[in-house]
Amino acid sequence: MFRTWWNLRKQKVLGINARNHLYVMQYNPRSAYPLVDDKLKTKQLALMANIAVPELFGVMRTPHDLVALDKVLEGRRDFVIKPAHGSGGEGVLVIDGTRRDLYVKPDGRALSLDEIRYHCTNILSGIYSLAGHTDQAMIEYRAKVDSVLGPVSYRGVPDVRILVFKGVPVLAMIRLPTRDSDGKANLHQGAVGVGVSIGSGLTTHGVWHNQVVSEHPDFGTHLHEINIPHWENMLLLGARCFELTGLGYMGVDIVLDAELGPLILEINARPGLAIQIANQQGLHGRLNYLENTGIPDNAEERVALSRKLFF
Amino acid sequence: MARSSSRGKLPLVTLVAILCALSLLIVWFKVDYLHLPLKPQENSELWTIEARIEFSGRRGPASIGFQLPNEVSLFTRVDESFVSRSFGLTLNSIPEGREARWTLRRSEGDHALFYRLKVYPQEGALEQTFLPGDSPEFPEIPPYPEPLASAIADLLNEAREESADIFSFAAQLLSRLANRNDENVKVIRDARPSNEWPQLVTEILAGARIPSRVIQGVSLQDDFIDRPLLSWVEVYNGQRWRGFDPNSGQMGYPPKFYPWTRGAHKVLTASGVRNLQVSYSVSRVSVSQELLAQQLEERLSTGLMNFTLYSLPIPTQEVYKVLLLVPLGALVVAFMRVVVGLPTFGTFTPILIALAFRETQLGWGLLLFLVIVIIGWGVRSLLENLRLLLVPRLACMLLVVIGLMLALSLLSQRLGFVQGLSIALFPMVILTMTIERMAIVWEELGAGETFKQTIGTLLVAISGYYVMNHQLMVHLLFNFPELLLVILAICLALGSYTGYRVSELLRFKDFNRMKP
Repeated sequence: MFRTWWNLRKQKVLGINARNHLYVMQYNPRSAYPLVDDKLKTKQLALMANIAVPELFGVMRTPHDLVALDKVLEGRRDFVIKPAHGSGGEGVLVIDGTRRDLYVKPDGRALSLDEIRYHCTNILSGIYSLAGHTDQAMIEYRAKVDSVLGPVSYRGVPDVRILVFKGVPVLAMIRLPTRDSDGKANLHQGAVGVGVSIGSGLTTHGVWHNQVVSEHPDFGTHLHEINIPHWENMLLLGARCFELTGLGYMGVDIVLDAELGPLILEINARPGLAIQIANQQGLHGRLNYLENTGIPDNAEERVALSRKLFF
Repeated sequence: MARSSSRGKLPLVTLVAILCALSLLIVWFKVDYLHLPLKPQENSELWTIEARIEFSGRRGPASIGFQLPNEVSLFTRVDESFVSRSFGLTLNSIPEGREARWTLRRSEGDHALFYRLKVYPQEGALEQTFLPGDSPEFPEIPPYPEPLASAIADLLNEAREESADIFSFAAQLLSRLANRNDENVKVIRDARPSNEWPQLVTEILAGARIPSRVIQGVSLQDDFIDRPLLSWVEVYNGQRWRGFDPNSGQMGYPPKFYPWTRGAHKVLTASGVRNLQVSYSVSRVSVSQELLAQQLEERLSTGLMNFTLYSLPIPTQEVYKVLLLVPLGALVVAFMRVVVGLPTFGTFTPILIALAFRETQLGWGLLLFLVIVIIGWGVRSLLENLRLLLVPRLACMLLVVIGLMLALSLLSQRLGFVQGLSIALFPMVILTMTIERMAIVWEELGAGETFKQTIGTLLVAISGYYVMNHQLMVHLLFNFPELLLVILAICLALGSYTGYRVSELLRFKDFNRMKP
């Protein structure tokens, strides 16, 4: 136990307490939280700043709106329904096809319109929302897997998590859906996290259920040295979110669409720490360094600084 | 890390230190001055001294004055009471201290009046060699009549030859006076009635210009029953007073001596009565320290003491006995979350479960909790098919939970398990929400996570139970609620703890073992 503790100290691994006390509470103004906790607001904000986001098909605000659910879904073969105030991927329903009048999930289970409506009801009643308040259900565009990442994604779309501190990307990983994660890209639901070197845009190690892995658990494909497409662009998107939200310490989730390129999915004001395992790299040292360094105002310069520092 | 955090941490450290110091200061005050015990259920000796005054009336006005004992160092007067019958009672100040005066316009027949005093001897009070007292003047040599004068002079000379200091001189003199075969002693003893003997001893000591006086009191022993006050002689050596047995000359006070008054004067004075008698009895009552403290407070009622919980009505006190433990439970939760990193359903759910365990006993509590939650969960998955809206569904679950509790109580009544009845003490809303959270965690994150959180919740609840059920904790928080400030200080410190959690040590166990 003590050796682990000493090793973590030496590697400058950031713990949850230190993250909350020294970074989240210090650099994230409370007033900025609603912007990111409500994904609808984040989306509007991003659109205003000309940042690409998945298209919003419709919003269910009240149970009454659900009557018109079929109108919103009419003619759509694939879409995602998620709670506006959800966290950690809870309550996200992905539909990637239709069979007669049924909607099919990535794992092949088919849902009727009524079942989808029930799911929306649960979202509206606030089951998945952070504070248990009533919520809204967002229906939006489902991103298509990029050909490079297809072979390492199990029935879902991977997304890239970039940890941004004071507008500078600090660590990044790509999260690959697995059979365990039901096509979702959240680590604690069973997705694989793979570290991405900020400097090169190449993947490093994988982490699955907090264990280091080198192959995709479902396909056996190698996880390292994958060149992430549009890397510079993604880092820039992440860096620009600093001006967008005012959050000093955040995780930006970006999905890579085969046709539309990188799209901002959501922003997290309390990003998890598994990204350190995926990169086998402690955060504390990097954050500490940036705390005591002059940071450029311009997002492009910040990305350049980051690619120079964190190779 | 050091630079950015140390700046912010300094005021916190100061605040924590101030809170702890303040709290411990009040605790120290209460322990030292009010003798509230730090440990629970220590029985302590409380002595009741009862003076019984008997007399017969003379069919006329009667007035009885009774000198009450003054404050004595190391003894705490807990309570005093009077049984006055039809007599009027006034408390007066007299030169010797305090006096109780009973009066009646017309008294007839036999009467008995009582004065009861409860004293609490502090540590060492009963083994004192020296009693404190003011320093007296050196006495003038009294003019003794002959043949007393020459007998005394002889004795003083003999004693002086065999002594080194004042105390040994007094001891020598008194042991000589105890020898009734000595001619001189016979002369001296015949000079006064025997009950004035201690007074005469002081007068003989004055012949050597040694300050001395009579001290009267009782011996705090269970066999001191229906006896008069003991009269002892105190001798002053220029620095302090020391007791001597006037009859044997032995140095020291009577065993477990409680002084009533100093001087040879009568404690009891009366007019208009006959057959006046007073006798004293001593008995020991063993009371719990808390009760004792309570009685002390009633008497002291200083500003601070008015703020202790004993001033509240008993049922309210019982409520606070439990309520004051909740912050302790919260501290356990905070510790488990921040330092250990145990996941739980809901933040304070474990404390409420632990409070319920307090009533049901741990084993039964765990069993009942699990039974209700598992059955409730089963019912919930049936309700799931009906696709109910959240709040009505929760209402249904609440109903189901209460129904289950009722059924369990009836069943255990039938089977004769009284413990089953205590299920009613479980917070049903908490049970309902626990079931709901469990079901959602199960659906969202799977069985493993549900299992982990259930274990975490129960672990925190069990540790909370042990901490909140600890006799010492219950005692400390109830008697020293200012210890809440210490809990507050610890919570503040935990709030800015930035070290690793134990769970993180496990989570990051293999961190970077691949790289050298």
